[in-house]
Amino acid sequence: MSEILFEASGLARQLGGRRVIDGLSLRLERGQGYVMLGDNGSGKTTLLRILAGLEAADAGVLRFQGEQTLLPRYPDAWRWRAVYVHQHPYLFNTSVTGNIAYGLKVRGERGEQWKRKVEEAIDWAGVREVIAVPPQKLSGGERQRVAMARAKVLSPQLLLLDEPTANLDADGRHRTIELLARLCAEGVTVLTACHDREIIELPEVRRFHLEGGKLAPLA
Amino acid sequence: MGLLEPTREAFALLLRGDAELLRIIWLSLWLSLAAIALISPPSIALGVLLAKRRFPGQRAMVVLVQALLSFPTVVIGLVIYLLLSRRGPLGTLELLFTPSAIVIGYMAIAFPILVVFTVSAVQGADARVYETARSLGASRAGAALTVLREVRFGIIAAVVNAFGRVISEVGCAIMVGGNIAGLTRNMPTAIALETSKGDFAQGIALGMVLMAVALGINIVMALLQGEGGLK
Repeated sequence: MSEILFEASGLARQLGGRRVIDGLSLRLERGQGYVMLGDNGSGKTTLLRILAGLEAADAGVLRFQGEQTLLPRYPDAWRWRAVYVHQHPYLFNTSVTGNIAYGLKVRGERGEQWKRKVEEAIDWAGVREVIAVPPQKLSGGERQRVAMARAKVLSPQLLLLDEPTANLDADGRHRTIELLARLCAEGVTVLTACHDREIIELPEVRRFHLEGGKLAPLA
Repeated sequence: MGLLEPTREAFALLLRGDAELLRIIWLSLWLSLAAIALISPPSIALGVLLAKRRFPGQRAMVVLVQALLSFPTVVIGLVIYLLLSRRGPLGTLELLFTPSAIVIGYMAIAFPILVVFTVSAVQGADARVYETARSLGASRAGAALTVLREVRFGIIAAVVNAFGRVISEVGCAIMVGGNIAGLTRNMPTAIALETSKGDFAQGIALGMVLMAVALGINIVMALLQGEGGLK
């Protein structure tokens, strides 16, 4: 059996009097890609944000590589292992390279190795042709790919993607799905919330359905 | 009395670099810059705190700082005068009627401008900035610095505004500085004094310098707004 990377149990989150997450449990294996489906408002984004420590849960336990935390406490050290990418990613008002390098700088990485990682991430995401374009002027697809490169460059153990193809044109969508498929093939543990049929049908992924505040596996 | 002759004299004073005039201009710039440099870091930090953190009394603090914005500067001068006067709690420091007293007054005037502008800029920042920084591994302080960097044009506008306000400030400067020639006389207090004496030339010359500073500040602001994508 594969190694369990991340586990959640008893997660609960109430928003506006409604139990969006209700005693939810989740188990993610290392190197496996997962897709989470669910209706609009079913709590997919809330769940991803809780797992990324961006939103507090009312109750629940998280385990990351065996290390346990009782929510709402979320260890800062986990933020170096799990990266969340917004549905509409925000790119900092610097350069494309500056954005991709942000997390590495936070981790104190400098020098040749740092440059090499950034260059590799630029090529991986196919954003070299827009490297001189101000981030605010990039298209939705280009922004999404820069945001994925910015996350990928950190070699996260867990990548949480929120509707990565939402509102993208055909080309942007196609290239984003390609990156996602490559991430799964490269053995990155990815949990993606989406409605996109092409992502759902990726052969490498396992599928969950979020309904009534709980997750159920899908065949 | 016509304005032509004193205006001509004012230009002459400026062109020949009148020593007294230059001293007053230099003192004004120096005191204003010193006050802004000293008060900006804590004010901006407080602005970020008030914008990002929720704690008991936070809303009341924001309202209080906003109220300070509309306080007459002469009242601020009066409070500082009472604090620094010989019988005041800080009288032993013997700062009254010194350049330091003016700097303290300027800091008090600039403080609410800097805090309120910072709160507004940080609250106006996209919530995803902080979240993205945190998710990429930044500490709370690091993420807050990233937010500041993203709203840097708003913060610089706050600093430029505060500088514009203090360099043209007269009420507080007269009360705590005493308008002493060669020591605490700055541009606005000198204009007030020379005009009351009927010596318009120096007043007009200093007025022109102040207007040039105001124009420069507005140009900087316009450029920043362009840079910040507010065109």
